[in-house]
Amino acid sequence: MALFGRRNTLLVLLAFAAILPLWANSYQLYIGTLVVIYTLLAIGLNLLLGFAGQLAFANAAMFGIGAYGTGLLQVQLGWPFAIAFPAGAILATAVGLAISLPALRLSGLYLALSTLAFAQFTQWVFLHWEAVTFGAGGFKTPAISFAPLPVSKPVGLYFLCLVIAVGLYAFARNLVASRTGRAFVAVRDSEVAAQSLSVDLLRTKALAFGLSGFYAGVAGGLYSQTLNYVSPEGYDLFQIVLHKAMIVVGGMGSVAGSVLGAGIIILVLEALRAVKGAQEVVFGGILLVFVLFLRGGLISVIQRYVPGWEEPLHAAPPRAGPAAEPVPLATPTAAERASS
Amino acid sequence: MLFSYILLSGITTGALYALVALGIVLVNKATGVINFAQGELFMFTGFVAWSLHVQFGIGYGPTLILTIASGFLLGALTDRIAFQPLKNVDVVSLVLATVGIAFMLRGIARIIWGGKGDYLTFPPITSPEPIMVGDLMMIPQQLAVLAGAILIMLVFAAFFRFTRAGKMMQATADNPKAATLVGIRTDRIYTLAFGAGTAVAAAAAVLAAPLTLLYPDMGFSFFIKGFAAAVLGGLTSLPGAILGGLLVGIVEALAAGYVASSLMEVSGFVVIMLVLLVMPSGLLSVGRLRRV
Repeated sequence: MALFGRRNTLLVLLAFAAILPLWANSYQLYIGTLVVIYTLLAIGLNLLLGFAGQLAFANAAMFGIGAYGTGLLQVQLGWPFAIAFPAGAILATAVGLAISLPALRLSGLYLALSTLAFAQFTQWVFLHWEAVTFGAGGFKTPAISFAPLPVSKPVGLYFLCLVIAVGLYAFARNLVASRTGRAFVAVRDSEVAAQSLSVDLLRTKALAFGLSGFYAGVAGGLYSQTLNYVSPEGYDLFQIVLHKAMIVVGGMGSVAGSVLGAGIIILVLEALRAVKGAQEVVFGGILLVFVLFLRGGLISVIQRYVPGWEEPLHAAPPRAGPAAEPVPLATPTAAERASS
Repeated sequence: MLFSYILLSGITTGALYALVALGIVLVNKATGVINFAQGELFMFTGFVAWSLHVQFGIGYGPTLILTIASGFLLGALTDRIAFQPLKNVDVVSLVLATVGIAFMLRGIARIIWGGKGDYLTFPPITSPEPIMVGDLMMIPQQLAVLAGAILIMLVFAAFFRFTRAGKMMQATADNPKAATLVGIRTDRIYTLAFGAGTAVAAAAAVLAAPLTLLYPDMGFSFFIKGFAAAVLGGLTSLPGAILGGLLVGIVEALAAGYVASSLMEVSGFVVIMLVLLVMPSGLLSVGRLRRV
């Protein structure tokens, strides 16, 4: 393993993260918690979009469902966080599985639009199902205490997030190296070829949607506890561009890239905290520039110049050069549709 | 009485959706993709029109022309930035790039016009006095929107049928490779399609602004509703877009009138899911199959 390889670098980052509470003030600790939570979101979205190739926009909705599920179970039913949190994550997983049903029939643009509409629908439910969700004003959630342990709530929560994130990072790394991970990549690169290799499309896509829902749900539950406040605008459309920017900046189809992307995007977000318009311009611009000029994300640059970061199986497939047969347009054209 | 009133209001909102849907269909017809920035382009050109008309006091006619021209330029720019470099890459990159543009437009609109009040009012083209049609009260602007939608549809139907550029666009949509072989510069056709799609959005924004008011977040919900209308009409049919828009408007008005007014906002979602899952080729092409 090279000195600056992936494992060493990430271990250094982890060691830094572990000692952060020793010297960080409460704001820095809050940023640290956010980075860890968004890392979870980015890994989940990357499994779905970067590995399985499903262009879905429902990640922000799942994040919200995890947060609302966790918070509402505590507030409405009086469940303790230790039970409400996994229940919220399971709820988000279930919704993820449910929206994978249309995904089997739709692809590309149509999947994108139907999941985008679903995200808007989720916002509507948060806003208008006032009897349960408290509407536009949101609600407060009770703060957990780590009573037997000698830590304050923010520090305890930070370590909880960190432990969960490390566990789920390791899980994702192993998953994408397994048969399932290879099935994801096969489905992304060609559904027909994947089927001919006896990859079950329905199961694989459903698994990808469920997993990304689970990651987003876990992140949502932790996020609701970080703020101790849940309201619809925390999970609105802006989150979509944020999540997409994280995996595009980090690198699609790279678990380690998700970590880098989440860290960078959250730091930029905090730097621009004051101006909403500037945030939208900057993140929209980041998304555009990376898609146009650095499609592999930062991880592709690192992989080219630093040894020890290779992920040979899961990199995006090489694109046809100018001399090769031109790839057909993104979707079938009108005539092809009519004739098929 | 209540029913006909609801119907009427549904038709007039539906005409707005139809206008947005026309832009989506126009781009899809020529290029086979959906421009995810369409709603934001609609919003942005609406603000441009507001600045021209209200801030600089330019008359209504010149404002309409200037806004359509600026819409065309914005659309052509979208094509050159996001579509041309990515059309041979993959649909994921293409969608992400247009989403990026959408958020940039939204942010720019918020920075430029956001400080001037949450909702900007746009004076109506027609007289603001309501007129009576039988027992029903109508605002003339609503009629202007409906007429505008039908006029735009007719203009583009004629464009596709009678002009050289329109025929070249159809040829490109049918088969880009064959179109290139017979000497059509398909790149220009794509630019033209994106430009025309945004020009329609600009015209729609000028007509709609007096009714909807202007705010930076308006683009997305109009995009979803417009897409619902377009997908109802089959995504490549101009009359289908009008019909789809009116249907979405009526359904949503009925739901709002008889069930709960907040239901208006979910109509787009429900229509999109139902149509894509049950009838993926739209209402006007029943019996034909399409790969989705």
